[in-house]
Amino acid sequence: MNDLKGIPIAIAGVCDGLALSGNAGPVLHEVRSLLNDLVTSGKSASIDLRSLPLLPGDYEKLKVVLGQGEVSATLEALGVTHVRETAIHGVWWVTHYNSDATIIAEFIEVTTMPEILRTHPADARAGLDLLQSRLTPAIETGRGDGDA
Amino acid sequence: MPDDQTLAETLARRGVSRRTFLKFCATMASLMAMPPAMAAQMAEKLARAKRQSVIWLSFQECTGCTESITRSHSPTIESLIFDAISLDYHHTLQAASGTAAEAARQHAMKNNYGKYLLVVDGSVPTKDGGVYSTIAGVSNVDMLVETAKGAAAIIAVGTCAAYGGIPKANPNPTGAVAVSDIIADKPIINVPGCPPIPVVMTGVIAHVLTLDTIPELDELGRPKVFFGDTIHDRCYRRPFYDQGKFAKSFDDEGARNGWCLFELGCKGPTTHNACATTKWNGGVSFPIESGHGCLGCSEPDFWDAGSFYTALSMPADPVKYTAAAALAGAAVGVAMSFASRAKKADAKAAHRTATLADLKK
Repeated sequence: MNDLKGIPIAIAGVCDGLALSGNAGPVLHEVRSLLNDLVTSGKSASIDLRSLPLLPGDYEKLKVVLGQGEVSATLEALGVTHVRETAIHGVWWVTHYNSDATIIAEFIEVTTMPEILRTHPADARAGLDLLQSRLTPAIETGRGDGDA
Repeated sequence: MPDDQTLAETLARRGVSRRTFLKFCATMASLMAMPPAMAAQMAEKLARAKRQSVIWLSFQECTGCTESITRSHSPTIESLIFDAISLDYHHTLQAASGTAAEAARQHAMKNNYGKYLLVVDGSVPTKDGGVYSTIAGVSNVDMLVETAKGAAAIIAVGTCAAYGGIPKANPNPTGAVAVSDIIADKPIINVPGCPPIPVVMTGVIAHVLTLDTIPELDELGRPKVFFGDTIHDRCYRRPFYDQGKFAKSFDDEGARNGWCLFELGCKGPTTHNACATTKWNGGVSFPIESGHGCLGCSEPDFWDAGSFYTALSMPADPVKYTAAAALAGAAVGVAMSFASRAKKADAKAAHRTATLADLKK
């Protein structure tokens, strides 16, 4: 999308000087509908932003309307992933980058907790085993804390 | 590595976290135009999947397809999928050679009969009993027929395997044909391109592993999610085409301004592939972004379709940019697409040979 900034053609509508396709509005209404579903039935959903014809101005409009919330997380998983809650509680903005810092996927998730932040039950079981293995020798040898 | 390990276990041993894997699945779902909610399901299914046996046969080819897939930037998200498969035979990559290599193929066929995926790159020479390409004394055509019998599905990687490609170009001295010309009783997924885009290959394998089905294919056997649009449809230079702004040579003002390369022979309007969206070299660019027109390498007989540097067809009247230019451009584009296909067919029928003079046009 950044490449479009270099194309000297006039596109109707701008947001902060950036081109708008007019698709930000419908996306925001879809977010509202999905948030209503979350509130009434607890159902989570997400919108794949990369699958939509959005121009830089559309992204800017979405960010302006949704705002910045109080939760932000960064994961290092074959490239960085930024997860942040917008000012609209229950609406999260998730951006996946590859190891070259290029965006490879971007979603608006409407949920109480994005899936990628949750601890999977199998990982929790593995965590229990790991902690157990770190505690057992210490208990048996009578050594103190922090020597795992 | 034991074949009874699940993918999640295999990845964990390699230090790949479940969150990394979920990120991979979210990216793949996005690329394959699946609903975002599919990512979590895909991750669960793939994580539990046992390693899929894959036999890879390389026939009359240049190894560019294997180079494309294995030489992507490392580590990449898409490279993860190769941890999901058990590549039991690939004569370029495997350590074994000679009798041991062929024994590995026979072993994989026997142990996974009816379940393994067969990947083929390269065309199949059929002239003179197929003597023009043999492996361990077995002709490619015989090896293909033997190996295809126990395959669950076949993925024809690259334009050579999918449509005959360059070996099949006039005058086709070896009688090269596509995999689908030999095998008619197995599902065949064509992933053309010279070479194909790595992530398209990865996506097809991920689809098969996740959904236990083959993806929806177009009339040429290509997955629609990657080959549904033409390069022209998704090209960032398309607005210039719609405005009638064309580069006339590779160093004129139009070229410097990044205008449309249609008049310099770009085959984008008749070429179905994902280059304009997934791009190459880790998402850096694709040929048109580097200033050269599309060669149409994912289409059948692209090598015989006239000069790479002659325009597919010229508009009768230059397209004038108006308020309705986008609509007009789309209509003209469709018309040109049909005209171009006809021209391509004519060129093929005439067996026209590209000369040095053509390349200088």
